[in-house]
Amino acid sequence: MAATATPALRIEGLSKVFEGQRALAEVEFEVVPGEIHALLGQNGSGKSTLIKVLAGYHRPEAGASATLYGEPLALDGTPPPATAPIRFVHQDLGLIGGLGAVDNLALTGGYRGHWWLGDRREAATTRAYLRRYGLEIDVDAPVGTLSVATQAMLAILRAIKDVPADRLLLVVDEATAALPDEEIRIVFELLRELRARGGSVVYVTHRLNEVIEIADRVTVLRDGRKIATRPVAGLAHDDLAELIIGRPLEAFYSSGSAPREDVVLEVEDIAGGRCRGVSLQVHRGEVVGVTGIVGSGYESLLRLIFGGEERQAGVVKVAGEVVAPAHPWTSIAAGIAFAPGDRKRLSAVQDWSIAENITLPRLATGSGPLPWLGDRGERRDAQQWIDRLAIEPRDPAAPLSSLSGGNQQRVVIARWLRCGFKVLMLEDPTQGVDVGAKPAIYEALAAATAEGAGVLMSTSDVEEAAAVCDRVIVLVDGRVGAVLEAAEATADRIMATALSAKADDLIGADR
Amino acid sequence: MNTVTAEEPANESRRFIPDLQLSRFSGLYLWAGIVLIFAIWIPGSFLTGTTAKSIASNQSITAIAALAALIPLACGCFDLSVAQLVGTSAIVASSLMSKSGVSPELAIAITLLFGLGVGVVNSIVVAWVGVDSIVGTLGMSSVLLAMSGLLTKYQFVGPLPSSFKSIVAGNVLGVPTIFVYMLIVAVVVWYLLEHTPLGRRVFATGASEDAARLAGVRTARYKTGSFLVAGLLASIAGLLLAAKIGQVGPTVGPEYLLPAFAACFLGTTQFKPGRFNVPGTLLALFLLATGVTGLQLAGGELWITDLFNGVALILAVSASILGARMRSRRQRRAAASA
Repeated sequence: MAATATPALRIEGLSKVFEGQRALAEVEFEVVPGEIHALLGQNGSGKSTLIKVLAGYHRPEAGASATLYGEPLALDGTPPPATAPIRFVHQDLGLIGGLGAVDNLALTGGYRGHWWLGDRREAATTRAYLRRYGLEIDVDAPVGTLSVATQAMLAILRAIKDVPADRLLLVVDEATAALPDEEIRIVFELLRELRARGGSVVYVTHRLNEVIEIADRVTVLRDGRKIATRPVAGLAHDDLAELIIGRPLEAFYSSGSAPREDVVLEVEDIAGGRCRGVSLQVHRGEVVGVTGIVGSGYESLLRLIFGGEERQAGVVKVAGEVVAPAHPWTSIAAGIAFAPGDRKRLSAVQDWSIAENITLPRLATGSGPLPWLGDRGERRDAQQWIDRLAIEPRDPAAPLSSLSGGNQQRVVIARWLRCGFKVLMLEDPTQGVDVGAKPAIYEALAAATAEGAGVLMSTSDVEEAAAVCDRVIVLVDGRVGAVLEAAEATADRIMATALSAKADDLIGADR
Repeated sequence: MNTVTAEEPANESRRFIPDLQLSRFSGLYLWAGIVLIFAIWIPGSFLTGTTAKSIASNQSITAIAALAALIPLACGCFDLSVAQLVGTSAIVASSLMSKSGVSPELAIAITLLFGLGVGVVNSIVVAWVGVDSIVGTLGMSSVLLAMSGLLTKYQFVGPLPSSFKSIVAGNVLGVPTIFVYMLIVAVVVWYLLEHTPLGRRVFATGASEDAARLAGVRTARYKTGSFLVAGLLASIAGLLLAAKIGQVGPTVGPEYLLPAFAACFLGTTQFKPGRFNVPGTLLALFLLATGVTGLQLAGGELWITDLFNGVALILAVSASILGARMRSRRQRRAAASA
């Protein structure tokens, strides 16, 4: 790792501004050949922007330059040429689950045959290639049926297939976020193998333990600036967390609030997806936040509680009554309201009017002898909610797709306020919402709690969790890592907890 | 509440009305145009009460078949078996009466149950097993065709008892009785689909199944229900068909498929743009029928019908896609100017 050798990748003077917001400021970044270099930083630190500039999704500000093994690499918002020895594996892996390894590899690399595809010959070629890296699999089995670790390895091997191993820069962009600890080891073996052959790896992750285990050096970004590049040897978990957060970590203890009696939502040992047994309580008039790093399970927790996603185990109680079986309609009947994060697809019908979206869960039919759903009555009904939540445009007939993100979210909240609920659950309530429109959503949540409901929101934004919630539940690796009361739930502490290695390491974990 | 703010949106939408009206009711103008063309072209044969009555009574069965197709479509599913079910139901009913000597009342009841049964099978295959609705109901269509052959031995079935045929005979207030049946069915479907919570949830399922589920709609139930009603309506159409023609041929059925679906899709460009709706479907159906009848009276050959329906279906679906694109573009422009 001599500093005099030509670096595998060298970036200088990289800046990027998004709508007046600085995402990257004069960042310098160097990867030497034959190293695994971890890139760390919180959400919004500029790490994904840096990767996206490299991959050619974003065009940086003038003055940025990059070299790849000594040769200039144009950073102009276009993907690097296929001849440049740089390859990316992103979080979603980009594999087609229904096709086998042979076809998935051929998607980028082509088949061996030109005029005739011989299944046996193609399979043999693929098998031979994978075997060179110690991967023995059924190359015809749909990759969706393989383990996640195997899929990650396939994605990596596909990416590097046509690049000589000693002249390779592989960027692994959170591709391991979905992997359980045991399986990550298998992928690490592959990365070490690549390193042994002289290749370089940029490894982007949130998990500090992984960095310590696999990386040679680490670069930390914070608020768009490079904070440090250090050898990993000798760094401990807390040192890394301090670098990321920018302040020393104080030891902290959960004060453990006195048990309260007015529990409105109780979740016991719920499991499914990435959640492996989460218990929590929400009280009347309380806003509880759930957060964690990507893959910690916080993303799917609310859907599991609501019954929108199948759960393997767990009990949900609303005001002491068990909600069973786990279906959206039983949850709604029990008094749970749910605003999914995917507003385009899940939380509302885009083609429908504001009025139709507001009334859907509880359709009012007037008092005539026959049930009658009339346009006029429905619009008058919806108009009250439009006025109450100041939804723009104020026209109940306007299609939802014509509304801004903030207004769409208010429509969804209005829908549930109209239904009445004991618990309101929201996924990323302010995602895709203008900064100016966020307070209106927080006000709507506050109004809901003032009337005695409990609010449970999941969010990836630790600042938001710290600012809005009375309690913040931090999930770590599918379990409750800590429960932080408002006074101690600062963004730093939430982040530090989320980054912590294992749920059991934390003192005061609510288990 | 402040009354001034409440009135503002109403005024604003009124300003858009002339523009929207034109596209929303363009079918009515088109229909008037077609009538006018034939009235000038062949006044003697086209502009008569007989022609109007024959269109009304000939299209009533297709109209009920279209309504049967409309309900699963509103729910996001294709039921391609409705057309063959019309034919097979007619054969079931007439075989029961003319071959097994079953009384008309009992034959009607059994035929309706048969239609419901086909709906049950369709819904199990599509809503519970999860077979794509086009594939599942296409298969059912072929099974029904086979049943028709089995029951008829490829011979005409009949004659049917006159007490059965009398249910569609004559006129009510000068309107063919069969047309009145169709109107009753249409009003019931229109009410259920467009003015009850049940219908709204059917549309929610069709518009976005996942979003509907998360809003508490039991989507599988509504899909099931839509296939049951489709089966029931198709068998009603089959009974009316048997009563109307009195002698049922072995291959009756498939000819309803295209006009029924063409009407449903063309209907989405009318009255409630972008949505399947009952008035739009009926308007589309009678518009197409008027055109076809006019062409036939003007001396056109038999294949004119198929050509007209096929072209209309392609144009209708293209029009509805382009219409949706234009609507969203207009919205975006409106949102940008706001």
